[in-house]
Amino acid sequence: MTTNGSRTRYDAIIIGGGHTGLVCAAYLARAGKKVLVCEKRHLVGGAAVTEEIHKGFKFSEFSYVVSLLRPEIIRELELPRHGLHILPLESTVTPMPNGNYLAAWGDHDESQRELYRHSPLDAERYEDFGIMMHHMAHAVKPILAMLPPDPTSLSPRELLALARFGGHMRSLGEDRFYALHKLMTMSSADYLDEWFETDVLKATKSASGIIGTFLGPRSPGSAYVLLHHYMGEIDGAFRAWGFQKGGTGGVSEAIAGAARAFGAEVKLEAPVTNVILKDGRAVGVAVGPGDEYFADVVVSGLDPKRTFLGLVDEKALPNDFLTSIKRFKARGSSGKVNLALSELPRFTCMQPDNIARWGGVQIPAARYLRGAMSISPTMEYVETAYDDAKHGAFSRRPYMDVVIPSMIDPSMAPPGQHVMSIFCQYAPFNITGGWDDAKREAFGDAVIHALAVFAPNIEQAIIARQVLTPADIERITGLTEGNIFQGELALDQLFFLRPAAGYAKYRSPIDRLYQCGSGTHPGGGIMGASGRLAALTMLRDWPA
Amino acid sequence: MTQRYDVVVIGGGVAGLTSAALLGKRGMDVLVVEAREHLGGLTSTEDVVPGVPCDTVDHELGWVPPALVAELGLDRHGLQLLHSDPCATALVPSAAAESITLYSDAQRTAGSLGRFSASDAAAWPAFAQRVAQLSGFLRALYEVPAPSLFATGAANLVSMLALGRKARSLGRNGIFDLLRTLPMSIADVLDESFENAALKGLLAARGVTRILQGPRSGATAFLFLHHHVGLAAGAVRGMLTARGGVGALAGAMIGAGKAHGVTFRTGATVARIEVKNERTQGVTLASGEEIAAERVVSSVDARHTIYDLIDPVHVEPELSRAIGHVRMRGATAKVNLVLDGAVPLPNAEALRGPLVVAPSISALERAFDDAKHGAISDNMTLEVRVPSVLDPSLEGKGDRVAVSVLAQWAPYRLKSGWDATSRAVLGDRVLATLESVIPGITNRVVHRDVLSPRDIEERFGATEGSLTHGELALDQILFMRPVPALSRYRSAAIQGLYVCGRGCHPGMPAPAAMLAAREIARAVRSREAPTPPPAPQAA
Repeated sequence: MTTNGSRTRYDAIIIGGGHTGLVCAAYLARAGKKVLVCEKRHLVGGAAVTEEIHKGFKFSEFSYVVSLLRPEIIRELELPRHGLHILPLESTVTPMPNGNYLAAWGDHDESQRELYRHSPLDAERYEDFGIMMHHMAHAVKPILAMLPPDPTSLSPRELLALARFGGHMRSLGEDRFYALHKLMTMSSADYLDEWFETDVLKATKSASGIIGTFLGPRSPGSAYVLLHHYMGEIDGAFRAWGFQKGGTGGVSEAIAGAARAFGAEVKLEAPVTNVILKDGRAVGVAVGPGDEYFADVVVSGLDPKRTFLGLVDEKALPNDFLTSIKRFKARGSSGKVNLALSELPRFTCMQPDNIARWGGVQIPAARYLRGAMSISPTMEYVETAYDDAKHGAFSRRPYMDVVIPSMIDPSMAPPGQHVMSIFCQYAPFNITGGWDDAKREAFGDAVIHALAVFAPNIEQAIIARQVLTPADIERITGLTEGNIFQGELALDQLFFLRPAAGYAKYRSPIDRLYQCGSGTHPGGGIMGASGRLAALTMLRDWPA
Repeated sequence: MTQRYDVVVIGGGVAGLTSAALLGKRGMDVLVVEAREHLGGLTSTEDVVPGVPCDTVDHELGWVPPALVAELGLDRHGLQLLHSDPCATALVPSAAAESITLYSDAQRTAGSLGRFSASDAAAWPAFAQRVAQLSGFLRALYEVPAPSLFATGAANLVSMLALGRKARSLGRNGIFDLLRTLPMSIADVLDESFENAALKGLLAARGVTRILQGPRSGATAFLFLHHHVGLAAGAVRGMLTARGGVGALAGAMIGAGKAHGVTFRTGATVARIEVKNERTQGVTLASGEEIAAERVVSSVDARHTIYDLIDPVHVEPELSRAIGHVRMRGATAKVNLVLDGAVPLPNAEALRGPLVVAPSISALERAFDDAKHGAISDNMTLEVRVPSVLDPSLEGKGDRVAVSVLAQWAPYRLKSGWDATSRAVLGDRVLATLESVIPGITNRVVHRDVLSPRDIEERFGATEGSLTHGELALDQILFMRPVPALSRYRSAAIQGLYVCGRGCHPGMPAPAAMLAAREIARAVRSREAPTPPPAPQAA
């Protein structure tokens, strides 16, 4: 047995070099701690990576857009200095079955004018809706940066935290509190029905409410996920979604750069096989075949199931905690298709004569293709996609969020050629009979066919394609069941229940073993909040 | 000549009758106005064909608070509550003799389950206890007006403290279990405990009763627990009814009301609630007759009350908008059958409790999918009761047997629209499903009454045929029910206007009316010298 690792002692070891692990490492290193990050792959980022899958074409393989990254993290870690560079995603166009389309722009007035074409009433409501969602996001913002209080504890500190939380709710005022209550509990379809009449608008907006969840737009709970995706838009002026220059991996590289600058050590191809316990306390990690590293505290950035059911001896965990982790829902529901293209897709609805036919404003392809194309033509379409999945199949006609990063950052593909990222839902991890190569390709074909309905030249433009099912996402990134949020953002898995009741403050039943991944409050997306809150918690109760 | 009362109650269903009796007892001069000729509303027992009584729509009572029974002396007025035991039996096509039956005795149920799954049998007692514990908390919540972050006054503080104490009594794990379970889907809850598909289907059907949601939809676990409030501990999936049918509750309320001087008028439809100077003046009937009253208590649903009965100039736009957003999507049909003899089911004991056709969670989910896309479910989920087996007083003349069937899903917004044809399709599907689990029943049917949600709306005035006057979902309960502005049972904008139906917290008519009546009595007490209503105009 080699013990070359045991020579160095660390203050903290972080398992997993995904973005939350790196954020946590950076904050600990910034506080002067000696930190080691162990990443199993040859690159940092976890699900936020850029890889050249086909020569000359760079794919943001999994996570592909950025918006939720907490501004305090960007500021405190000085991420722009380390290469963070977000290029805005300017528009969303949704093709409709009848050949018409709906466009939304970064410019609010422009969006409103376009919506007017579909419904003057909705155009008017759009204004109020935007204001209301803005207020709701502001109402939730402090909660994102808050340690979840324990509602069962009678300790003065917890009661105070609970009172502060109640005070925050009261401060919203009655109307906004009720609106927030509705957003927390309703389905996105019902919620949007209260505002709008244009089906394609509701379908496109409600799609934000299903991302990463195993819910349909008509399932209660999806409105919260809708809100979750609005929270990125609030810092300063409405901050739109955007791409990292050079691909999403650049975000991880920037955070890793910051961590290294503060003195953290990042070890690649260092898969942690288990957490070493001594007298019931975490003292280090075993890496690969035979290496061991020791530290005062161990932090896992992996999802709760992988951490507690994979790296720790189950016997070391109390029964009720173990049950909670086993019950924690992490049903993967989305897949990803990445394409290398020889030419740009031609969306039928955006051809000049078709735009003229529907009375829209002419937009050159060079402009709208810099934004997203949403394949969510009707509410029924999205809901039916869910029906397939809940009965154990991938959606025959999936909801898709299509972006072409090379339109914004030409370095992503060879000159004149392009990369396309297609996020698709639903592709259930628990597909009947399990995933295999044939099903993966059938799923890839279904995605391409569904897209070809609106952009017929897509099939002939494909140079190479990468199809990622939830099983692939699990295999490559380690995310249990390929769930992109490390656990669904459902009401029963949020705040003081995330990931388990009584363990929502980044601690675990094992002394000196902490958690910092998206499976903890406040959850997923490239947000980083849990990494920061975990680090601050650890620094507060740092062992002497 | 125009009559005058202290209170006019709109609607003679359980909620209206309860409010009337309670207010009558407090010395007020009360009139109940009911559009139908029969009192009882959705909770009525009437003859399907002459001499064969059956529960018209509801075939269970929901929670009847013991405090209410005591306060009105309902037992003296003939109320005798019946708990069904067996609590429920799952009817499955292949093995009608080998079906799962749940009893209020947990050990006996475990025995029944053991034939299908040893692990489910082992898990049962703990599950039954958990249901009792969590629904016990809901019961405490249903005994008081919904606590609010914004309401002022001692009453609100008292209900908050009482609930805090009740929550503490659940213990740390109990509180977390409650908070975690309420928003879950019933499918997820059951998957955590059980493996047998038929058992899970039987239980899951309770979480989607009378709602347009499937078992995989969020917060159906809440609805499951909601239906256990008021049941004896252990009586999972049981139901409460009364000797003489559910209508006997209305009957006892009428008796109590009469004893306290309440006047009842049937066959009288209220056309308008009169409002002047932001105060109710009384009501005007469809006949044009005016009835003056200082207070008007509406037990009909909030949308009907606000949209149809009040001149829009008196309704604030925010309230109007909120009312328009209340989801009332009726999705449950009622089919009452008359057979020419006993139900041909070998398991005679099972007939004493409800029989349920819901073979599995995924079958339920598929049935819901049909309705979600605007069609009548191909394979219907049924809850069947044969009232005369448990209660011989309901036996029909000449060996005729009434069978009461609640069928899901039959959406109010049917794509093809409701007419005689779609109603017949609905009836046929219900019978076909029944025939598949009780072979031979079709040949026995001599009469059938089919009530689609549209029929329920037309006959009983329930908007969209919603049997709960608004879906019981997390965004439509507590301080959100029916809408925040009416959640304390009164209108702030129109003095003297109250609401008391199942559309209010806690979503069941008797407890809602009890809380509403207390609120009205409090309002009366707090105003030392109520201003008399202005002189009525000459009619």
